[in-house]
Amino acid sequence: MSAAVWTQSLRKEFTLGWGRGRVLAVEGLDLEIKRGEVFGLLGPNGSGKSTAMKMILGLLRPTAGRAEVCGNLAGTLAARKQIGFLPENPYFPAFLSGLELVRYYGKLCGLGGKALEGRVAELLSLVRLGGEAGRRPLRTYSKGMLQRAGLAGALVSDPEIVMLDEPTAGVDPAGSREIRDLIRELKERGKTVIFSSHLLEQVEDVADRVVILHRGQKLREGRLEDLLTMSGEWQVRARGLGEAQRRELHAWLVQHGAEVLGEGSPRERLEDYFLRNLPERERR
Amino acid sequence: MRESWRRIRAVAENTFLEAVRQKVFAVLLVFALVLLGGANYFAEFSFQEQFKFLKDLGYATISLTGLLVGLLGAAQLIPAEIERRTILTALCRPLRRWEFVVGKYLGLVALLAVMLAIMGAVFWAVLRWKEAQLIGLEGGEAGVVQAIQAESRDPRLWQAFALMGAKLFVVCGLAVFFSTLATSTTFVVAMTLLVYLIGHLQSVAREQWLESGEKAAWFIQLFLAAVALLVPDFNLYSLIDEIVAGNVVPWRATLEVLAYSVAYVAVLLAAAACLFEERDL
Ligand SMILES: Nc1ncnc2c1ncn2[C@@H]1O[C@H](COP(=O)(O)OP(=O)(O)OP(=O)(O)O)[C@@H](O)[C@H]1O
Ligand SMILES: [Mg+2]
Repeated sequence: MSAAVWTQSLRKEFTLGWGRGRVLAVEGLDLEIKRGEVFGLLGPNGSGKSTAMKMILGLLRPTAGRAEVCGNLAGTLAARKQIGFLPENPYFPAFLSGLELVRYYGKLCGLGGKALEGRVAELLSLVRLGGEAGRRPLRTYSKGMLQRAGLAGALVSDPEIVMLDEPTAGVDPAGSREIRDLIRELKERGKTVIFSSHLLEQVEDVADRVVILHRGQKLREGRLEDLLTMSGEWQVRARGLGEAQRRELHAWLVQHGAEVLGEGSPRERLEDYFLRNLPERERR
Repeated sequence: MRESWRRIRAVAENTFLEAVRQKVFAVLLVFALVLLGGANYFAEFSFQEQFKFLKDLGYATISLTGLLVGLLGAAQLIPAEIERRTILTALCRPLRRWEFVVGKYLGLVALLAVMLAIMGAVFWAVLRWKEAQLIGLEGGEAGVVQAIQAESRDPRLWQAFALMGAKLFVVCGLAVFFSTLATSTTFVVAMTLLVYLIGHLQSVAREQWLESGEKAAWFIQLFLAAVALLVPDFNLYSLIDEIVAGNVVPWRATLEVLAYSVAYVAVLLAAAACLFEERDL
């Protein structure tokens, strides 16, 4: 079976016009994203993550190279039918309500009738915009609500591949955890998820594999486990040690020739602390 | 084919809905209706003159409002969607670019058609109202009544109305064409207006070009040729003025102009779709 997304020597050069030169946004990018994988595109601002995604969608024409989606040339209808996309900082037609937005996107995907209405209602309640919130104009939404409405829009045609450009940007920790949970759920249902982010600690929790881009080029690629596991070191977390046993343990380690790099009470991540201290019903 | 049409309709409906939810268009419509109704209060002249005045003012109002709606609507088209980046969330769907262009055009045309229908209905009502007023004033002599009704129920008015619609639909086509090239709304409005104005001089340019022969410099010839070949001939629609002035215009000529409009719009949209196809978003 063909890969979910496959690119070869993908390159994009923007011409600025009026003789102001060019910007090289992506260069020599080879990707192979398998079906059912959660794939992270990482990199600092301006490293070409969005540009790469837009080329995979056919919104931008590559200057050189080739991109395929499930074996179809990127940008063709067959290719775009496979992908649901959430752009970065999505701007939606503000005059629509959340409900109308998702319905409009469904119609653009060729859906209609009862099937569409059912799907829209289901998705809105999935992203917690059912009921009154879904009928308000998008103009009145908060950033997190907009992002969730956009997610529902991306999922409306039940695509095989879900592509999210910085889905957690500007979303609070609870919301961003929700999005990560959703990504996991999509994976369980066999979908391929491609997302970009520069919030690295959030990527760790969900991505199977990542590519790190820098100035449009691939810097590193691999499974997170392989990239991040420090196989030369060992870590133990324990509860119930007294002061005396701690000193004893330290002595034992030194005696056995280990170099002690650090010890002490571990600190919780601020994000976890924050979530733990929210009222129960908002934690989800 | 069915699916394609469904997507085009979704874009058109969305365009129409966006326009309806904006207050500008409602305000324009109210303004036009007030003008149309107010025209009835000028009653100083003979009844022929009163009808002439009503028709002049009515057509001027409707056509100006239509032009404004077309231009403002055009500004809401593709460039505004690119500026607001809403276009990304639409065009990443399995939607062909030409379907988007055609959908936008149809949405705009639907908006214009609805507004024209409302203004047309009000104009019709105003004519009838004038008719009733005048018959009341002049007395019920059969000859006079007939003469008044000949003015107020003149079927040629619908002919003029159809021509005006066609002219405005061509303007919308122009706006859509420019919006596939542009990144700013101002550019679209300015270019459309410019071509609209040049379009009224097009026939002059064409004659100049055909007659200039060896005399004119090559660049002037080139310019005249470009104007003559590329710019729509808005003078064709001066048939409207003929009708309002009370002259007889054969239906055949009217239909020819309508056919010209349809063909011109088709060419414009095809060109727009081609240009838009290659564009980076
Ligand atoms: N339309 C454009 N015209 C010119 N240059 C562009 C255009 N779009 C992107 N670029 C340039 O291409 C490079 C990559 O941009 P891109 O938006 O892909 O980065 P990114 O990785 O998504 O960054 P961020 O994390 O800020 O979203 C940048 O240097 C940017 O300035
Ligand atoms: Mg980006």
